[in-house]
Amino acid sequence: MVVQALLLGILAGFAMWDGRVAGQTMFERPLVTGPIVGLILGDLQTGIIMGASVELVMMGIAGIGASTPPDVVSGGILSTAFAILSGLDTGTAVALALPVATLGQLLGIFDRTVNLFFARIADKGAEEGDPSKVTFALWGGAAVFWITSFLVVFLGVLLGSAVIEDFVNWLPDFILHGFEVASGMLPALGIAILMNLIFDKTNAAYFFVGFVLTALLGMTTTGVAIVGAVIAYVIYQTTKRHQAELASVTVAPTHESDDLDGEL
Amino acid sequence: MGKTDEPLKEGGIITEGDLRKVFWRSFPLQGSFNYERMQNVGFCYSLLPILKKLYPNKDDMAAALKRHLSFFNTTPQVVTLITGACVAMEEENAQAEREGGSFDMESIAALKAALMGPVAGIGDSFFWGTFRVIAAGVGCGLAAQGSILGAILFLLIFNVPALLARAYGLKLSYKGGVSFIDSMQDSGTVGLLTECAKVLGMCVVGAMVSSMVTFSTPLVITIGDASVELQAIFDQVLPCLLPLALTFGCFGLLKKGVKTTTLMFALIIAGIIGAFFGVL
Repeated sequence: MVVQALLLGILAGFAMWDGRVAGQTMFERPLVTGPIVGLILGDLQTGIIMGASVELVMMGIAGIGASTPPDVVSGGILSTAFAILSGLDTGTAVALALPVATLGQLLGIFDRTVNLFFARIADKGAEEGDPSKVTFALWGGAAVFWITSFLVVFLGVLLGSAVIEDFVNWLPDFILHGFEVASGMLPALGIAILMNLIFDKTNAAYFFVGFVLTALLGMTTTGVAIVGAVIAYVIYQTTKRHQAELASVTVAPTHESDDLDGEL
Repeated sequence: MGKTDEPLKEGGIITEGDLRKVFWRSFPLQGSFNYERMQNVGFCYSLLPILKKLYPNKDDMAAALKRHLSFFNTTPQVVTLITGACVAMEEENAQAEREGGSFDMESIAALKAALMGPVAGIGDSFFWGTFRVIAAGVGCGLAAQGSILGAILFLLIFNVPALLARAYGLKLSYKGGVSFIDSMQDSGTVGLLTECAKVLGMCVVGAMVSSMVTFSTPLVITIGDASVELQAIFDQVLPCLLPLALTFGCFGLLKKGVKTTTLMFALIIAGIIGAFFGVL
């Protein structure tokens, strides 16, 4: 148990580092940590399913701009671990992910405040023209992130799983069923947050293309992604051709930016 | 790729190898994220090999470190668009100083301040708004059926474009400097690509509503002898009508400025109340 808790804590430390020092490769997301938790605890299948369910609920949570979002690392890892260790059903475990992530968010705020200390050290290095202090400041801050994330998950698994099991057994049935219902509804919020990022009048219609293809014609999301890519490609080509025609009517076309097309 | 020890620009100082170091150092951008100046330490850290090479003198180094420890915040996946332009300007600055001239150092700070907003705008809509949506849509769909491919495809769909943007962003913005980013914005290509990416994102988001939101009612209405399942009526009108309504409900509330966490806990409470009365 201690070994498993240690391993999960280490996983949490490196998952936290994904967004901190690995340039945000999405390794931190529950969809990826879920299967790894499953491997550590010897139940890959539950890990995969839990990862997908927690990802759906937390899909909208993204660290955009200056805000500190609920912590997807501890929320994803701990809820998946509880699902396996305490034998919770998916709905209940997913609902647990949210309070855990909120607690993780508080620690995230703590980390970012403590890091002011390291920013001061970097400033001191700048005064003295000493770049090694900047390096120290960077890895010092990164260490704080790693350690807090490790501790939350390590202690959470060690102390939490028995408590959670008792607590869930004590809860009345309608609340557990309520969690189940809520875990089905919560992806709607995640999707709404995504819509908030990209929805505008010009592309609203395409939402219904995706909706109808799946709801009425039973297509998979992968299929819809391919159809969407085809539509996007056609729009790109038509607009480009249109622009070129316009340009050739008025002035000679300028090709200075064409070499970027394939790369961006 | 040319030799790593030759300067990339005629009469320049920076080599391919130097840029490669900057590339690897662009990853830990948020390592020391703090509330006062956000990613400032990480950004400065990514430039250290360049600054060490350009400014052997302590005073110059101190000034350069101060410049790059100012407030900084942008989308991590596209930060190199700014880093490359900064490398180019620092190089010009160092060359000007060696030739006895002077360079407007404030322009470097101004450049960073002017670029981080627009670059974040492009980065957020591409990587957070589009690639992650598509990756999560495809990945969750597969993982929900118990396939490990879900996680793998999720990582691939997101990271292949992210790494390409990071690598080419650094090269192109170093070569073209500030004018590269200006021309990128003026040409309209980025705007068009963003629009196209959003179209693809919207298709996947629409698909997610029906495939990933589970929201139905077990309610049965009994009138006299006849009993009608409410859900059957909804399904006749339009499959996934309730998930669609719920999503747009959440979207509307978000637009009105209701906080995400508030909505989250509201949905959990709604689920429990609904379960208690047997309507959900």
